[in-house]
Amino acid sequence: MEDKAKLSVEAEHGDKATVLIVTGRVDGSSVGILESAVQEQINAGNKTLVFDFTDLSYISSAGLRALLIAARLTQKEGGRALFCALAEHIAEIFEISGFNEILDIRTTRTDALGAV
Amino acid sequence: MGKSPTQVLVVDDEEDLELLVRQKFRRRIRDGDLKFLFAHNGKEALEVLEEHPDVYLVLSDINMPVMDGLTLLSQLADGEQDIQAVIVSAYGDMKNIRTAMNRGAFDFLTKPIDFNDLEATIEKGLKHVQALQSALETRDRLVAVKQELDMARDVQMSLQPKEIPDSETHDIKAVILPAREVGGDLYDFFHIDESRIALVIADVSGKGVPAALFTTVTRALLRVTSSKDYSTPAECLTRVNELLCESNPSCIFITLFFGVLDLRNGELHYSNAGHNPPRLLLADSQVEIVPKTKNIVLGIQPGHTYNNDQIQLKPGDTLFLYTDGITEAENLQDEEFTESRLDEKLTGLAGASAERVATEIVDAVQEFVGDAPQSDDITCVVARFRPGPS
Repeated sequence: MEDKAKLSVEAEHGDKATVLIVTGRVDGSSVGILESAVQEQINAGNKTLVFDFTDLSYISSAGLRALLIAARLTQKEGGRALFCALAEHIAEIFEISGFNEILDIRTTRTDALGAV
Repeated sequence: MGKSPTQVLVVDDEEDLELLVRQKFRRRIRDGDLKFLFAHNGKEALEVLEEHPDVYLVLSDINMPVMDGLTLLSQLADGEQDIQAVIVSAYGDMKNIRTAMNRGAFDFLTKPIDFNDLEATIEKGLKHVQALQSALETRDRLVAVKQELDMARDVQMSLQPKEIPDSETHDIKAVILPAREVGGDLYDFFHIDESRIALVIADVSGKGVPAALFTTVTRALLRVTSSKDYSTPAECLTRVNELLCESNPSCIFITLFFGVLDLRNGELHYSNAGHNPPRLLLADSQVEIVPKTKNIVLGIQPGHTYNNDQIQLKPGDTLFLYTDGITEAENLQDEEFTESRLDEKLTGLAGASAERVATEIVDAVQEFVGDAPQSDDITCVVARFRPGPS
């Protein structure tokens, strides 16, 4: 086993948005880490979230569901969620599942921050 | 009415322990908090315990006629009831005390008995008994929950389609290896009418009972919408999606491939709601990917209109539907089976029966995985068009 902590989420607070840097694998066993990171930001009043997926290596359907819930939660608070820097194989998962149609996806973090 | 008193059995052939207990605990006996039963040797003690199965704590002397305390201990240890025993022995009688402890006594008291020590030991014994009881109850509850979950899985697994008999126009086979937890994958096949067969494979996000319910509902909705006024796969998915979205607060979704194979001409009409694209294994052993439909998963976007697609099967071509439990199956080195291994294995199976394709692919996945635990359902549906005379 290489790394027990296979998922980490780090927050960077900016003027207009909080960037969540997601590193590692999001699957059924690690999705709770992502969910609580999102909840923590929303509880702290940070309702505009940019997910930076540069170092996201894998996302399962349980992970996609967590993103969908993040998008709904931020919207409910009057904010929004954007997703950026998807590696090719991650982009493919978004495309097959059709999540690229329902989530706000941007090429780079700069693009995402420019859009908020 | 208060709760019934906790009962303790005192076993001694001499009167002094009984008198001591009756006097020392008279207030608690009067208050209905504690109740003492008495026996004068091991044999009597066993008879009393048989009559009173709710006694879990025994205080016993060692030297007694008929049956001594050490023999009683052994009998208690062999019995089905979990009874805790406190042994009373002469001061300094380490040999018997050791024997008693080795035979499972919970604690010991030495004569002459000190009142406070007696009370503290009985309190400790009762606490221990209560802890054991509540652990047992918790275990029983867990066993019951697990049985219900197992039942849920059995029900889910029993909802598999009836086999469609092989014919000259088709042979169809599905295999599902469920992971330990109830949930995940769904497959189905059924006749739309005499000449068309519906083929379904799906994977729900998450596991457990909510996921299992979601797949079961989806299967039923799909069967209903495609049996009544069937027009196209996409039309069915649009309707099923609408119904699923109506009440789905927890954002569960399902990826689903729905294909309808026309046995007269080999046309496959399909709509793919976000599921891994199936494979088409050509009679000449090439493997093609069934082109993706631009659609989204079912259950989260009300009002979405699903799109249709169509491909042509030639005689001997085989359609292979699967879930990511196959391609993402991991071995002990954390390597995945991957699509390329799947395609490679499929290539070698051109012309084989649906049953052989299904069995060999699943066998290959299991062989690859080895002793690694199975974390996801492994499911495939295989349909061969006009296999020709075998």
